[in-house]
Amino acid sequence: MSAVARTAAERLGLRDGVVREVRSGELVIDAAAGDLPELADAAVAQLGARLLSIFASDDRVAHGGFTVHHVWWLPELRTLLRVSAAIDPAEPSFPSIASKHPSANWFEREAMDLFGLSPLGHPNPGRVALHDDWPEGVFALRKDFADDTAVARAAGDFHPFRPVSGEGVFQVPVGPVHAGVIEPGHFRFGVAGEPVLYLQMRLFYVHKGIEKRFERLPWRHGLFLAESISGDTAVGHALAFAHAIERLAAIDVPARARSLRVILLELERIYNHVADIGALATDVAFSLPASRAQALREGLVRLQQRLFGTRLLRGTVAIGGVKTDLSDAGRRDLQTHLETLEREFDELVTTLIDAGTFTDRVDATGVLAHQVARDLGIVGIAARASHVDGDLRRDLPHDAYDGLQFEVPVEDGGDVRARLMVRAREVEQSFRIVRQVLEALPTTALCASLPVDLPAGSSALGWVEAWRGPVVHYVATDERGRIARVKVNDPSFLNWPGLIQAVPGNIVPDFPVINKSFNLSYSGNDR
Amino acid sequence: MFSILANSLKTGIRTEPVPFERPVPFGFPVIDFARCTMCDQCARSCPTGAIRSAAPAPGRRTLALSYAACIQCRECVSACPEHAVSAGTQGEVAAYTREQLQQSALFDVDPANGACTLRHVDVQPGPGLEDSAARLRARIHGRLGRSLHVRQVDAGSCNGCELEIAATSNPVYDLERFGIHMVASPRHADVLLVTGPVTRNMEIALRRTYEATPEPRMVVAVGACGCSGGIFGEGTYAAIGGVDRIVPVDVYVPGCPPTPSAILNGLLVAMGKRMASAQAAATRSGD
Repeated sequence: MSAVARTAAERLGLRDGVVREVRSGELVIDAAAGDLPELADAAVAQLGARLLSIFASDDRVAHGGFTVHHVWWLPELRTLLRVSAAIDPAEPSFPSIASKHPSANWFEREAMDLFGLSPLGHPNPGRVALHDDWPEGVFALRKDFADDTAVARAAGDFHPFRPVSGEGVFQVPVGPVHAGVIEPGHFRFGVAGEPVLYLQMRLFYVHKGIEKRFERLPWRHGLFLAESISGDTAVGHALAFAHAIERLAAIDVPARARSLRVILLELERIYNHVADIGALATDVAFSLPASRAQALREGLVRLQQRLFGTRLLRGTVAIGGVKTDLSDAGRRDLQTHLETLEREFDELVTTLIDAGTFTDRVDATGVLAHQVARDLGIVGIAARASHVDGDLRRDLPHDAYDGLQFEVPVEDGGDVRARLMVRAREVEQSFRIVRQVLEALPTTALCASLPVDLPAGSSALGWVEAWRGPVVHYVATDERGRIARVKVNDPSFLNWPGLIQAVPGNIVPDFPVINKSFNLSYSGNDR
Repeated sequence: MFSILANSLKTGIRTEPVPFERPVPFGFPVIDFARCTMCDQCARSCPTGAIRSAAPAPGRRTLALSYAACIQCRECVSACPEHAVSAGTQGEVAAYTREQLQQSALFDVDPANGACTLRHVDVQPGPGLEDSAARLRARIHGRLGRSLHVRQVDAGSCNGCELEIAATSNPVYDLERFGIHMVASPRHADVLLVTGPVTRNMEIALRRTYEATPEPRMVVAVGACGCSGGIFGEGTYAAIGGVDRIVPVDVYVPGCPPTPSAILNGLLVAMGKRMASAQAAATRSGD
């Protein structure tokens, strides 16, 4: 039994041997369903655990039942912990932890919607993933539901939104088709004149059945599906999926590939952060820095196309390594480009924060208080802007991050400006990271050789700190080594409830800039 | 204020005069059917079914390639043992029908040893690009003038296409100089720019948006998903498939995602200002 597993067992008050370290960074507890709430309380109280996912799997064929999994991040022990509990199909339910741990809220309701497992004791057990015209009693992620089933629309009432009443109080419905070039979702503002009283939202308009589709595709093709979970996080999701497969099949990624993966992930971070900072300027009608940022972003994605073949870095990550090498000429090209970009980016940020007209709009706008961020289990940029520290690149290093020097910027304000500043400071750190990698790029193969089949009846977690926050994939195989279950966790899923808390008290015209400062993925959330 | 003005002047103009016809490193695949032995490796390697082989009759086999479903992953290029598949370099592919994005080859099978001999290649079955262009012109002729108002609808995209559609407005591409404007409402729009493997949950919203767009209206389907369902497939419980399964499509812009210049090209094709080109040019060493 490993030291970390023993420490975890001691702190959780469990017998020796109950906590297993299945591989580095991955502890597993097989628990009784009834023990899930107590284990969750203990993990949070004794180990400072943060929830990364709750999901179900249909293991009725293999084990005669369903399974509910909790995935925790234990920053102090520098490991993940998966707690899995078997569920009797005769009583398809599991004890909810959502009333004590609000970050479980949507996860548990999603397991209810897609597997038909009821979260007992959930404070608000309504649908989250299913729209109202999905019939009762049909569960898409169960194994006896074929992915090409035609499901008739159920008739009935439209989604009930919380009513508003009182003089001058009304609702503003927005979406799913928005005014700008953004993804679909429905927002319902309850407003008293200009100020927003509350925000409700309806997502899952772009639910594409990705998790189900993984079960149908050959495992190698899963990588292309992973690249399309959220187009702006193609590298992040491809890497998280590749990590899960590599850990599951014990594939060693060559050193050069690990270093190149760091470059890819940091380039993705830089181009998204630069674009987002420009978009914040757009949303307050400050056009010079907005178009400057767009030009910087365009220069960067063209560099990416030159170096790696595609503008948005698709087709760069391979299972077992990377697909494209960086030549010496490419390395110089990248170095030169980043030097110029660093200077221009600095000018861009200075232009913004020196302009009173800009800071007037972003200071104290869309505040997500520290305690609220903690309680809701917010992750990534949005968490760090509300002084909730944590970054998997530092705390649970993947790829080549272990040997690299960098800081994790944290801000106190929790407002639009804090989220902007976290991005700006992260871009500086990304430059620093890429420079270090370029100075010491190992000379090895680009990709490990892959097995024909994956190990049967196995499972693994893969994770990365992508630009928005942690991306975590769970991959399990069946008795023939085919993909049995992939659970995709985009940080957006944990962070949308943060937006709901950050908007009330602000005026409706500030919503776009608040929303953009979170810039959550609808597709990553809805899958 | 003065520093902002000075900065603006210093930067100068970033807009490219002609953003088209730049070779891209990883374009659509080009199959040299003369070198094909019908080993099926490319079809098996394709994650979206963009390459399919079939046996329509005894002694006959076909290999079909559709750019509508291609995500430019280049698996087929590395899978082909005969080096008959290469990555094209053309960025701006567009067509008026799904079929125009397709090519297929018919092979005779030798009953003695199973060897396949190429009989003929059928490129772009159905009406030719000129005919389609003329028909579209006739339908909208004179109604839209020299400008086009565009409403974008994400009907299930991964947001990759949205990133590239947004990029068409950046200072480098500057789509407004072509008279193209992104508008906030379908009621102001001449054309809907639709992405995604139309999800069950966006189908109704897409139909309503289409109905809210005044006639004569056009639809441009963007991306492998918008053209065919792409990697998400067609007819699953959650993804219905290509945009043409829900509303009539006038122009298809395939790619995963298509580049900003390809999207811009597709809009100019819809305006009748540029001719659609549905075949990728191959550049292969030794040719």
